[in-house]
Amino acid sequence: MLSAQSPRSWPLALALVGAFLVLPGRALAQDLEPLSAFELLARSPQLGGSDIPRDLPGRATVGTPRRPRMPDASLPMPDLGMQSPLPAPEWRAASPGPFVSAGEPVGAEASSSDVTPAHPEGEAASPSSELLVPASTASAADVPMGMPAPLTPHGVSNSPLSPVPASTEALLDSSRSFKVVPAAVAVVPGLLFHGLAPALAGDGHTAKRLFALEGTGLGLIALGGVPIALTGASRRTIAPLYAVTLAGFSVFGISALANLYSVASPAFDPGVPASSLPPLEFEMGYQYVNDTSFDYDHFVSLGALARFDEVKLEAIARLAPDEGNTQVRLGGAYRLLGEPERNRAGSDGSSLDAELFGLFHRFPTEGFTVIGGDVGFRGRYAMSRVSPSLAGSFAEASIGMALQGYSYPGPVSDGNLHSQLLFSFGYGVWLGRGGGPFKGEAMLFYDHRKDGFAGGLRTLGGGVVGNFGLRTRALLTETWGVAAEFQAGGALVGRLSLVYALGGES
Amino acid sequence: MSRIGAMGVLSALLMTGCLRPAENRAVRDSKVGRAEGGGLSLEVEDGLAAVRSVGSGEVTLWGNAPVFTVRATLDAESTSAWVLTVRNAMPDAELLAELEDGEVLAVEPVPQVLPTVKAWRVGLRPGAVARLRVAPPGWESTAPFRFAALADVQEALPRVGDIYARLSKDDSLRFILFSGDLTENGTREQLLEFQERLEAGSPIPLYATMGNHETFSKDAEEYTALVGRGSQSFVFQGVRFTVVDSSNGTLDPIVEEQLEGWLAASRQGTHVVAMHVPPQDPVGLRGGGFANRGESAGLVGKLAREGVDLTLYGHIHSYYSFTNAGIPAFISGGGGAIPETFDGVGRHYLAVDIGANEGLREASLVRVD
Repeated sequence: MLSAQSPRSWPLALALVGAFLVLPGRALAQDLEPLSAFELLARSPQLGGSDIPRDLPGRATVGTPRRPRMPDASLPMPDLGMQSPLPAPEWRAASPGPFVSAGEPVGAEASSSDVTPAHPEGEAASPSSELLVPASTASAADVPMGMPAPLTPHGVSNSPLSPVPASTEALLDSSRSFKVVPAAVAVVPGLLFHGLAPALAGDGHTAKRLFALEGTGLGLIALGGVPIALTGASRRTIAPLYAVTLAGFSVFGISALANLYSVASPAFDPGVPASSLPPLEFEMGYQYVNDTSFDYDHFVSLGALARFDEVKLEAIARLAPDEGNTQVRLGGAYRLLGEPERNRAGSDGSSLDAELFGLFHRFPTEGFTVIGGDVGFRGRYAMSRVSPSLAGSFAEASIGMALQGYSYPGPVSDGNLHSQLLFSFGYGVWLGRGGGPFKGEAMLFYDHRKDGFAGGLRTLGGGVVGNFGLRTRALLTETWGVAAEFQAGGALVGRLSLVYALGGES
Repeated sequence: MSRIGAMGVLSALLMTGCLRPAENRAVRDSKVGRAEGGGLSLEVEDGLAAVRSVGSGEVTLWGNAPVFTVRATLDAESTSAWVLTVRNAMPDAELLAELEDGEVLAVEPVPQVLPTVKAWRVGLRPGAVARLRVAPPGWESTAPFRFAALADVQEALPRVGDIYARLSKDDSLRFILFSGDLTENGTREQLLEFQERLEAGSPIPLYATMGNHETFSKDAEEYTALVGRGSQSFVFQGVRFTVVDSSNGTLDPIVEEQLEGWLAASRQGTHVVAMHVPPQDPVGLRGGGFANRGESAGLVGKLAREGVDLTLYGHIHSYYSFTNAGIPAFISGGGGAIPETFDGVGRHYLAVDIGANEGLREASLVRVD
């Protein structure tokens, strides 16, 4: 959900918001307005409601709402095996707590000691729980909108907005089970035809959206790329054309990865964005760089991150103790749209930030120092807005510019101020499931910048292409976590850090 | 398990290939100028010429420098009468043939129609080693001279004759220094056509490094066979010219080590360094330079510290005049490949006046269209 943090920020964000508006604001399966617990209850089938109270973003069928079939106790239940809409008798008997089904009392709040998890650990999810709705008792204030509710340590949802625990919601739509053929097709030829795999899996809505995204991406590539070729990458027009072309590649890449996610996601419960992140995090770790053009390889990696309401400050240092290479990056981000990370307040994690960073990078062996600054925007978009089956994932893109000066000690001088187009995009997943302290994210990304340790790929076309990578950061407890990153460009870079969080205790 | 291991090894090889895409070309460079045939063993010093054929009393070389020396070892049973043909030679080039003990061998010029093709009959001594030096008169002087800088012909190969015609009007030009992308795809046919058109249209030779388009075909194997090294260095009239293979937006460590030697050899003299992909694109947002800006800054800093006087680049199909780490730099990609529009410059080349004692005197833009 996009929400303006400050009216003063709108003019700055207007252009990038347009890109967000191209995609639907909400998935069809989501409610248009938040419901109170009472409204939710009033709409329930048990009280005569004709629709499920709230379809879930991750698994709901879009289009004609998937309605629960109301079993008639007077009719014999056909033996549908795994397709049976009712739990097996023995399992029902073992599930006395939070679950209710037609004809049973609603809202039976089980004591924690009596609660049986939605599924016995290690047991395969059964579509029969389509009719099972766990009772919910808590407020939704800290539950991401449209996301599965956090679970109590005993598996009970504490939010009336998402009455089904994450572990059971995956069962709501039996057609969303993991299938091998669509998963294989998602790779070949799915990476070229992005909607093909979801279509094979019976998810026509996602298929249409991904085909549309892919078409948009290819269109943008053509829109920017053809003029670049025709103008010989003219210095007069290259900046906007390059931005359009890279935007096309990002949309194409995101839809390609969404294609994979859409068919793989039924195999697991979708993650949710952390409802809040600690105000202060420190990290310390090790970085290894394999670059044939430089002598450095081993680095100490340090970082600090401070989160305020709308402002995030960040400091990063990479130090090669033996060789002396030193990179320091200081800066911050101002949240223009979306809820602050300190308190997402039900947000699905979509956001738009303005970023400003300063860079100092000393290369003692090579004999120069880089001093510069970056300015840009970074946006994140919850993919559940594109299609409910993409819930738990997000797309991220950034665009900006860097200005840098190179300083050479001694008689060598260079008065040039070098500019650089900054552009990145990625596709990520939230790792946490809303319950417990575990929270985090992982993202596959492309980064166009060439001044980092990974540099750009050394290709047949020279050095035009940037680098690719995988980044993950997770808090395992309320105070300890890990961050890891791997990048492949002209160099290979790997980093692993220990994260210490302050002030994040619940 | 073995399959996993094989996959791991394959992945490691692929990764290594991605990290050093120019390594094979750098290794291949070391074999340029070496060949055997008809009882004659040839080794061109520093690989400054490619051996196109050897055998049956005839040797044909493609010169990639105005001055080069060939070490020729003839078997005791082989014929002593040989014809040495050098294509892409200086129009006034002469052959000096002498044995290792200093004895000068008889040489007889063979008249040729094309100005840049030179041929000589030479009587080699069976069982002896001869040094054959091909050079124009005065090559050891320090007199200033003029050369042309050009790059990026590519798909405009059928029209390249226009450039040679314009070059022909300037009698003071001694040779063309070409900064890569001779052809569109680097195939044998395209490279042969390039050389035929050069010989037919240009009154002066062309000394080149490869561009990224040459690597499109067999990683520039044909270029190496037909033209010569991607990275090399030669001295003409006291000025050192060094070209390096930057086709992948990087310098391979082997090339970088060679470059350091060439830089050290001319620390006090005038030195021109040329490559195809420029370390730094003067239009930073476009980023048409090296893949790693740190590497590019390190390279130009090194060139500056070693006293390089001029850097010449291609890859970008326009004309740019700028400085890198304080060194005068020019991009002259006006060979005719898809031109950069709105730049006010069409096909062009640079006429560079330089001297061993004076350094860079002047670089002038010469428009062809």
